[in-house]
Amino acid sequence: MDYPKLDKVRRSAVPLQLDVVEAFAAGRLSRREFIQRATIVGLSMGSIGMVIAACSSTTSSPSASGAAPSTGASSAASSAPSAKAGGKLRIASQKPVKIDPVAMQDLGGYGITAQSFEFLCTADPGGNQSSIVPGLALKWTPTNDGAVWTFDLRQNVKWHDGSAFTADDVVATMERLVTAGNSGLKGVLPPGGAVAKDANTVVFTLAGANGNFPYLVSVFNAQTLITPKAYVAGTTLDKVPAGTGAWKLVTYNAQTGATFERNPDWWGGPTPLDGLEFIFFDATGPMVTAYQGDQVDALVQFDVLSGKSLLTDANFNLIAAEAALHRQIWMRTDKGQFADKKVRQALAYTFDRPALVQQLFQGKAQLGNDHVIWEGYPYFDSSVPQRVQDIAKAKQLLTDAGVSNLTATLHAGQLLEIPDLAALLKSQAQQAGITLNLAVESLNTFYGAQWCPADPKDPPCSGAAELGIVDYGHRGTPDVYLNAALKTKGIWNSSQYASTAFDTAFTSFQTAVGVDAQKAACKQIETILNEDAPIGLPYFYNYFGGTSKKFSGTYTSALGQMFFSKTSQA
Amino acid sequence: MDVSVTPTPVGPMANPAVSERAQARRETFRVLIRRPAFILGNVIVLGWIITAVLGERITPYDPFNQFFAGHLPPSPEHWMGTDRLGRDVLSRVMVGSRDVLIIAPLAAMLGVIAGTLLGLVMGYYRGTVDDVLSRIVEAFLALPVVLIALLTLVVLGTSPFVVVCVVGILFTPIVARTVRSAVLSERQLDYVTAAKLRGESGPFILSREIFPNVLGPTVVEMTVRFGYAIFTVATLSFLGVGLQPPSPDWGLSVSEEYNNMISGVWWPTLFPALAIASTVIAVNLVADSLQSVLSE
Amino acid sequence: MARFISRRLLLSLITLWLLATIVFVIANVLPNDVGRTILGPFAPQESVDALNQKLGTDRPIIVQYVDSMRRVATFDYGDSYVSGQAVLPQLAAAMVRSAKLAGLALLLTIPVAIAAGLFAARRRDRPVDRGIVLLGVTSSSIPEFVTGTILVVVVGVQLKLLPVLATPPPNADIPTQIRYLLMPATAMAIVYFGYIARMTRAGTIEVLQSDYTRTATMKGLTTGQVMRRHVLRNALIPTVAVIAVQVGYLFGGIIAVEKIFNYNGMGQTMLFAAQQKDIPMLTAGAIIIGIVYMLATLAADMTMAWMNPRIRLDAER
Repeated sequence: MDYPKLDKVRRSAVPLQLDVVEAFAAGRLSRREFIQRATIVGLSMGSIGMVIAACSSTTSSPSASGAAPSTGASSAASSAPSAKAGGKLRIASQKPVKIDPVAMQDLGGYGITAQSFEFLCTADPGGNQSSIVPGLALKWTPTNDGAVWTFDLRQNVKWHDGSAFTADDVVATMERLVTAGNSGLKGVLPPGGAVAKDANTVVFTLAGANGNFPYLVSVFNAQTLITPKAYVAGTTLDKVPAGTGAWKLVTYNAQTGATFERNPDWWGGPTPLDGLEFIFFDATGPMVTAYQGDQVDALVQFDVLSGKSLLTDANFNLIAAEAALHRQIWMRTDKGQFADKKVRQALAYTFDRPALVQQLFQGKAQLGNDHVIWEGYPYFDSSVPQRVQDIAKAKQLLTDAGVSNLTATLHAGQLLEIPDLAALLKSQAQQAGITLNLAVESLNTFYGAQWCPADPKDPPCSGAAELGIVDYGHRGTPDVYLNAALKTKGIWNSSQYASTAFDTAFTSFQTAVGVDAQKAACKQIETILNEDAPIGLPYFYNYFGGTSKKFSGTYTSALGQMFFSKTSQA
Repeated sequence: MDVSVTPTPVGPMANPAVSERAQARRETFRVLIRRPAFILGNVIVLGWIITAVLGERITPYDPFNQFFAGHLPPSPEHWMGTDRLGRDVLSRVMVGSRDVLIIAPLAAMLGVIAGTLLGLVMGYYRGTVDDVLSRIVEAFLALPVVLIALLTLVVLGTSPFVVVCVVGILFTPIVARTVRSAVLSERQLDYVTAAKLRGESGPFILSREIFPNVLGPTVVEMTVRFGYAIFTVATLSFLGVGLQPPSPDWGLSVSEEYNNMISGVWWPTLFPALAIASTVIAVNLVADSLQSVLSE
Repeated sequence: MARFISRRLLLSLITLWLLATIVFVIANVLPNDVGRTILGPFAPQESVDALNQKLGTDRPIIVQYVDSMRRVATFDYGDSYVSGQAVLPQLAAAMVRSAKLAGLALLLTIPVAIAAGLFAARRRDRPVDRGIVLLGVTSSSIPEFVTGTILVVVVGVQLKLLPVLATPPPNADIPTQIRYLLMPATAMAIVYFGYIARMTRAGTIEVLQSDYTRTATMKGLTTGQVMRRHVLRNALIPTVAVIAVQVGYLFGGIIAVEKIFNYNGMGQTMLFAAQQKDIPMLTAGAIIIGIVYMLATLAADMTMAWMNPRIRLDAER
């Protein structure tokens, strides 16, 4: 252990950061977990590298790129010297529903807006889906308890129209988001909580301590793109093209596609490619066909079932990121046939999770244990036993609950593999004598009628169907899942789950200051959710995207934001 | 030479037209049977009907709950291979006939019954009734069937009941128009005048005199509608607004698996598609034969 | 002739009104919070109410209906609920794209089908005739999405002869555009070949058996002259009728083909709008399709009337 080096970092760290360093030094965190925690709490890349070097004195000089997540944009634009400049990339993407940065809800929209706008904290070029790296913010520092965060902004950044990017733009963006009720910031950042200390610093005063706050203003909270002060709520990117990012919007046709050209004044340096051409699709199948037919070079996202051929294509640069993408099988806990915990557990015991993973994702997914803490999160606690299929136990639980011949309607929306999941669940449940009748509808109808009905008698999400499957995209931290889907009266709480024990555990997780406290809170959350089973969660599946091997340097988040600022023709 | 002429027995004078009609029908039938197209068409349709009725009893595997390895190519164990979830395609194609052969005929029958009634009324009574109804019918004829069906199904939800109603209602105008023109030519004939002179009421004339004579075009129309119904229901399922998973419906199966053809997995798409094509072709062969025979 | 046209126009207007009403009824039959749909599930209720008031969707249904009809009549279709952009320009562009596809399909099928029909009729009941009839029945029984899929895989991916995405690059010249549209157009053309060929055959047979044809032949005209002066005109009447009717079915087939080839025509647009419950887009789209159909039928009727004066007189009875 190289103590002098370690002390150097310790001396300049605030208590929250210190705690992470100590945990790593004492061996309570793996290197990967340390890197993730450290970037969240705002330790600089240099410090992280130093700590790792200090604590692994057996290995000689740490390779900065190996130990710490590559800094991507903040270091000098490091495209390989042999890369050709120039060229255009044709990208197949889902058709955006909306490109209003504040109100957009779909992956298509996220991907398009992320080309022109940027986040305070952005995605890790190395592809780690629970890490964030500096974007428009260079550094972020929590105070002792994590209730106030100070973000130091990057300097000399210009908007596409030439005006200067300042802290006022950040403050205005945050206010707009808070007014609109952004799901990640709700209850965390109060109105007026963001204040510009000077032109290059923003201070966030939160409603309470929150150790994960930087995630909530990162690429993983897709609406938190920083937009100009003058951007009124409801403005869309095509109506008022703007941004600080590497690409300027040239054309946009909501039906067919969009084109971007290089922003020559981007702070990250000139991009190797001249421009981007997005082509919009309604489904992944035609995207794959288009790639095979040489009409697109990249796919933002595809699923295993449509793109099986791409997984083994030698000319395809596959991006396969383990991510927290999942499906929740919600069960009403307040009334109906699943109100009894034993019945919910019985259903969960019929899931044959490995079979689901194999049949639906060719093995490219991780098992879920009926809670939303993905094993890729740094504070995941693996001590809760993994639930496996146990038909005998399921039958026993049903008998204990006094239920025989359970028959229920399983609602699902038409999205990717969800109808297939429903079919497989139906046949698995049948083994325990549970009859599930499937009701698959188009996604739009499903959301408005079964999941969180449009006119809830008892807002925010009452009136949901008794049993259904809903999709969740990736998040860098589980805060959104816990807050929205599981907390009492959460806005997406379709199971009407109301458990004080859970709410308490969630609060202690949010306010946890220190790795050990976070892990302990998570363990509690996992145990409570696994036991109460308001939702069945069989898997977390991988995010797939990629480009043809003719291009290299592309990286992506698991929310559909693909970054091309380093992409070049090989 | 003495020629003894056996007197021809003279039957009852009542309804000579009816026995003539019956004889004509028997003749038609005999002619039809001789046409290979008619036979082939009927054999195929009957084959599918039997398959639909027997369903799971004759499938080699369970089409819903038995899962093997995904996308196995056709082999002696799985004549048509397996689909993406590992279900036997042959079993699913066999059971998939059931939904189509229930929904399509029901829709066709609804359209034909409603259309025939409408056509009879319009063609016989003429006058204002005909004028108003004709305008409405023509207006409906202008509507693109698939668009209205699509809209209705998206809004009301895609239950088989709604599909039958929507497709049936949208077929009514065409049938009505055909029946109406047939009635128009019939009503001028003598037997109708005779009936009116006898004092028969309108409905009586319609049902007893006119309707049996327009039966020919009606039957042809019904068969043609049946073919269109299968076609339309398959297209709606393909677009995602017809039957829903996990139904093994043919149109739905094609839409679920056609993306995989790129990867070389042709069997889960091709066989349901051939099933659709074979059924529609068979029905059209029958319709075509009926049309040529009955119009001579 | 003028009376004929004016009568048809009046009819068309009634149909369009009916179409607009049907779309309105369908779109409003279920409770539909438009403001909520546009702003999303997380917007505060006050914004939703304000938007509803601005759009006028909180008024009683009869008032909304009258207003909707008025706007249809004045071509004021407003903005899409989904994208917030004006509906008409988007639909106009989509219509042009679909028209190109449909046009190419008809161009491919009509000459071939008519020729086949005539050929078959002249050789009635011989093997060639039976063959063509069988081909016609078969080809019109295979749904467009079946032929489309097979074409994509065989011609597009395996043989790489034609591009698999039907949308040509912007500002492409005509031959390039045709190249891109060839596969989807063929998928549609195959289906219509059957109908048109059989109709032509039936019409030609009837005419060939008629008195005036026999008279013409007996008068000493050559077969060629007979065909040109008498037969073609009258035989094609039912064909023209069929082609007009097919415009309605054309739209149905186009939706499936556009889905497979990812072509942004009316079919895709309407499918998407239906799924998103984008009512302004649906209403405007339905009207446009209705108008196109009206024009097609009117043109067909006028062509038929020009070809056979008896029809003109009949219609005026």
